[in-house]
Amino acid sequence: MSDLIVENVQKWLGGLQILKGCSFVANRGSIVALLGASGSGKTTLLRAMAGLGHPEIGRIVIGGQTVLDSDRGIIVPPEKRNIGLVFQSYALWPHRTVRENVGYGLKLRGVNRTDTARRVQETLEHIGLGHLADRYPDQLSGGQQQRVAICRALVYEPKVLLLDEPLSNLDAKLREEARYWIRKLILDLGLCAVLVTHDQSEALAAADQIILLKDGRIVQSGAPHSIYSEPTNFFTADFLGANNILKGVLRDQEGTAMIEGEGWRLPATIRDAEGVANGSNVRAVVRVEEISVFDDPQEEGIELDLVDNVYLGDKWEYRLERGSFKARAHGPRRLEAGRVWAQIPPQNVWLFQDTAAS
Amino acid sequence: MADHIPAGKMPAFVAQRQDAALTRGAIIGALFLIVMMPVGLIIYQSLLSEAFFYKSAKLALDAYAFILTDPAFYEALYTTVIIAAGMVAVAVPLGGVLAFLLTRTDIRFKRALEILVLVPMFISSIVLGFGYTVAVGPTGAVSLAVRHVIGFVPWNIYSLPGIIVIAGLSHVPHVYLYVSATMRNLPSDLEEAARTTGAGLLRVLTDVTLPMVLPGMIFAAALLLLLGLEMFGLPLVLGDPNGILVLTTYIYKLTTLFGVPTYQLMAVVAVLLVLITLPLIWVQRRLLRNARRYAALGGKGNRATPLNLGRRGQILALGAIALWLVISVVLPIGGIILRAFVDAWGEGIDLTQHFTLAHFKALADVPSLYHGIINTILIGVFGGIAAVFLYLVIGLAGHRNQGFSGTLLDYTVLLPRALPGLVVGLAFFWVFLFVPALHAVRTTLISIFIAYAVVGLSYGLRLIQANLMQIAPELEEAARTTGATALRTWRDVVIPLTRPGLAGAWALIMIIFIREYATGVYLMSSGTEVIGSLMVSLLQTGAMDIIAALAFVSIILTALGLFLALKLGARINE
Amino acid sequence: MIKMSAFAASTAMVILGGAVPALAQDVAAATKEGAVSIYTATDISQAETLVKAFEAKYPGIEVKYNDLGTNGTYNRAISEYAAGQVGADIIWTSGMDQELKLYNDGLLQEYKSTQLKDLPDWAAYQNTVYASTIEPVGMMYNTIAFPDGKGIPKTRAELLTLLQSDQRVKGKVATFDPEKSGAGFLFATNEARTSPDSFWAVSKAFGASNGKTYSSSGAMKESVISGENAFAYNIIGSYAIDWAKANKTLGVAFFSDNNAAFSRLIAIANGAPHPEAAKLFIDFALSKEGQESLAAKGLPSVRSDTSTGMNAKNLADAIGGPVTPIKVDEGLLEYMGQTKRVKFMNDWRAALGK
Repeated sequence: MSDLIVENVQKWLGGLQILKGCSFVANRGSIVALLGASGSGKTTLLRAMAGLGHPEIGRIVIGGQTVLDSDRGIIVPPEKRNIGLVFQSYALWPHRTVRENVGYGLKLRGVNRTDTARRVQETLEHIGLGHLADRYPDQLSGGQQQRVAICRALVYEPKVLLLDEPLSNLDAKLREEARYWIRKLILDLGLCAVLVTHDQSEALAAADQIILLKDGRIVQSGAPHSIYSEPTNFFTADFLGANNILKGVLRDQEGTAMIEGEGWRLPATIRDAEGVANGSNVRAVVRVEEISVFDDPQEEGIELDLVDNVYLGDKWEYRLERGSFKARAHGPRRLEAGRVWAQIPPQNVWLFQDTAAS
Repeated sequence: MADHIPAGKMPAFVAQRQDAALTRGAIIGALFLIVMMPVGLIIYQSLLSEAFFYKSAKLALDAYAFILTDPAFYEALYTTVIIAAGMVAVAVPLGGVLAFLLTRTDIRFKRALEILVLVPMFISSIVLGFGYTVAVGPTGAVSLAVRHVIGFVPWNIYSLPGIIVIAGLSHVPHVYLYVSATMRNLPSDLEEAARTTGAGLLRVLTDVTLPMVLPGMIFAAALLLLLGLEMFGLPLVLGDPNGILVLTTYIYKLTTLFGVPTYQLMAVVAVLLVLITLPLIWVQRRLLRNARRYAALGGKGNRATPLNLGRRGQILALGAIALWLVISVVLPIGGIILRAFVDAWGEGIDLTQHFTLAHFKALADVPSLYHGIINTILIGVFGGIAAVFLYLVIGLAGHRNQGFSGTLLDYTVLLPRALPGLVVGLAFFWVFLFVPALHAVRTTLISIFIAYAVVGLSYGLRLIQANLMQIAPELEEAARTTGATALRTWRDVVIPLTRPGLAGAWALIMIIFIREYATGVYLMSSGTEVIGSLMVSLLQTGAMDIIAALAFVSIILTALGLFLALKLGARINE
Repeated sequence: MIKMSAFAASTAMVILGGAVPALAQDVAAATKEGAVSIYTATDISQAETLVKAFEAKYPGIEVKYNDLGTNGTYNRAISEYAAGQVGADIIWTSGMDQELKLYNDGLLQEYKSTQLKDLPDWAAYQNTVYASTIEPVGMMYNTIAFPDGKGIPKTRAELLTLLQSDQRVKGKVATFDPEKSGAGFLFATNEARTSPDSFWAVSKAFGASNGKTYSSSGAMKESVISGENAFAYNIIGSYAIDWAKANKTLGVAFFSDNNAAFSRLIAIANGAPHPEAAKLFIDFALSKEGQESLAAKGLPSVRSDTSTGMNAKNLADAIGGPVTPIKVDEGLLEYMGQTKRVKFMNDWRAALGK
């Protein structure tokens, strides 16, 4: 049985529907990432799981306990859901020491004093904060506060650990380190975790399953690799990775899909789950890293003009144009402006119906 | 696996969960009962033919008919509206300018001024009235000096304009508080932009700053209108000689009009006053919500850089503020101090010949007077603590309360504020008298405390709520998700985090209780006298010596309270 | 020291004078009650001597003094009576009409005072209500405006002339407001009843000269002392006499032909919690000793045998004109009727030109 079941959750806020029926399941020993832009409903969904916001419709089961069922009128308050929640702001209680912050959940669960002290100390040691137990939150650095917040949420072994943008308040260097140890910690402890983030790299690196949300709906979900390389809709394809968007018309040439623009055409692959009709307007999504640029003619290469070079430190970015074709690509060295040849494998030119144009 | 369930319709009825619903309901229900007992009694009384406790009392609208056909009522209503509107006209522009000077310019002595300008707010209006009489009344010390120089006294504080100006000047701090709160949050680049394009200071104020803080100004105006309608102390003292009546003093007069108290008529006026003020309070609350939203818009990041006043500007601005402070603080308080230490004053009297400490000796000798002082301190200090505790409990019951009880609380709090304190006090007197369970506390200070706590409810609760709102919601949510119930969260997180703010709130509530005067008039008995009500009571026979001495003590106590409030870091808002 | 010997002397005189002393068993019963609660409109500063003398004479009986003002006294009396929670033993008020109304409504208890035979006839009503003072209505003036009281009227006719023609009182004359003050109402209606012609003429002249009305005599005193008003009439003369002693700028005057005088009426409340102590207090307040302690604070005695301050006998001489006390009887209730009251108020406002 799954540790977390979310079924058809719908929520309104002042007449506006902000969750439009979200469903997913998650299991012990895995991390689910709710990924989406701001306003996509990811935090609302997380708060619904935590019991901090009450969806009008839906069912949520945590560790076998139905905590929300709109049909049966069940709403279990947050404290009875046996969850742990890590807030974006960490929300450490400023009037309590690290030890008291972390030990609070155990105290509430009636764990005796000696056991509480031992478990708090163990957890703190585990994340390397054992020596800070008697400090107050304002005496800790941001990274330390974040670790304490995570400790506080998992010391009492909740059924589900919910994390709301736990890394967004850390600086870039700490963030990469943190997402690694958070993942490791959760897997070590065999928890079921849900991570809310707007940062795709965070989701890709930390999660076992990514659920991509848009306007209160799940647009695609799956393993990081599959969601990155097998998008079934334009939004997913565009949201992840660094992309070139090309607009054109679909031309079916002897079974091969081609996208044709003003003065250019490219062999491509139809990715749209709903299919695309021949001759209709399409958008192609091409990952920046999939375009190889050469300054000498290439077989199967497309001829383009290099307009500009941009230095990025570890690589160069090329600005390419041909008619309505405008794209970016990367390469190891600076190229002379003028005619260049690019190779773009057809399986990496993903075509989707251009709903906006038609 | 894109989920394409069509956007559903919001279900008509949804099970909602209210945290600690039972506790909240019980607290708010009890409060509602306590507030409704006197309020309900007043409404009931207004519909009777005579005092409700007479067997011959019948349901009748005679009282309404009498009041609504009494020319004196309309005259009082008219005067009330004029005074309230006049007060707004005086105080709002001045408060706006004051806020502008203190928040947007580089005026000197800013830190000290920020506290000093609030002082007029804390002087009881009845004390103000006496003080002005002695200082700038027809033969006041200042008036005589002015007459000595120019041959006549160019003002008359017993006139309608006199009352309006005094009331207006003493209410400037209220406006200042609200407007400065909005102004502080305005990004200063807008003003700087105007300045760099060549606009003068005044132009910047009128063209840029003013439109931005308009919501705050409108809110302050609504608040002042409300305070103006409820004003009692100033018209009681200053309106007496020329028979200027406002609604609250009209109520007072109704008692003598028929030789015996005509409660039904008093009740009718009180009910009418509620009917006038309640919509105003409602509008004001809506405005407040909008004003907050407005203020929140500007608030991010943009630190205000002060506008340069220049030398002349500094002198002008500081001079104006000093003049205002002299008029609204130094004059009345100086008047009271003077009157407290002399036994005669006025024309042709050498004050040095009349210096006396006899009035203070009376305070020490006469039981009712020293009881009054001790009781006032007791009510201020311990009543203040109890009130903070009560308001905290009520505040928690309303804290993040989205349910029905939250709405009920909002309106319950408003009711006592819409009623004149004198009438609330009378109603409480009856409640304690006619509810057998309350007999034991009737002639104790507890009865006065309860009435004070109800009258001070809306102000005190706002102080507490301001503290509660300071707590980031995540801190509470973190406790909930960690496994604490709502009640446990209040105990372990909310209350410990508000505690530092409570001390300041206590000091401010203490001041409110010390300066209160109308509520206790009917409630106090031998041994439970309080300074404010003693002054009203003594005013009937006109023992000015004693009143001045009491007012002096009241000022000292208020000053101590204010000092304490500042020491404890009180957040003085409203 | 002076006070002490005065007490000693007066106590001695009570005994020598043969006034009926309280019986030993009555005192014991009263002492057992331990307290006497007084609802009154008399400032404690004026009743202080009386209260202290009583407590000194009857140790063990504490006086609970509630200064509530006339309306407060009446209000509390009727409310508590209706609630069956009577807290007053003694109701002692200058609202004469209100006290009579309380009697009519059955809120007062009959008690034949031991001092009855030493009181004038007009001062006792139905063996229940007693006049405890006789306080002449008079005039106050500012001595700078009227040096040595020159120009202060001696008769009602002169008062009219003063108001009509003297520039010194133009806009600087004050009187008790009958609309806001019970005492003011009593004085005005009494004047309107006893000498209607002069009263209405004077009121018109008062209105014409922009006179100011006050709801308390203290506020009026303040205004006259400070020179804000030059002259005030229909005021409590006995207060003024006391004030004038302390202030050179304040003068007091009375008419030479006739002066009204009101009384503070005292009675025992029906259902009094300490009835025996109450009886003791009434008897003491009306006794020579009690009356003298009131007179010492400027409240003239209704008796004729007192030797401190003024009393019913020497009052006329002291103020320089005969005194007609307002009788304690049903006549006081005449203006309690609404129609008559409202008519008077309307006439008053009309006379003032309001």
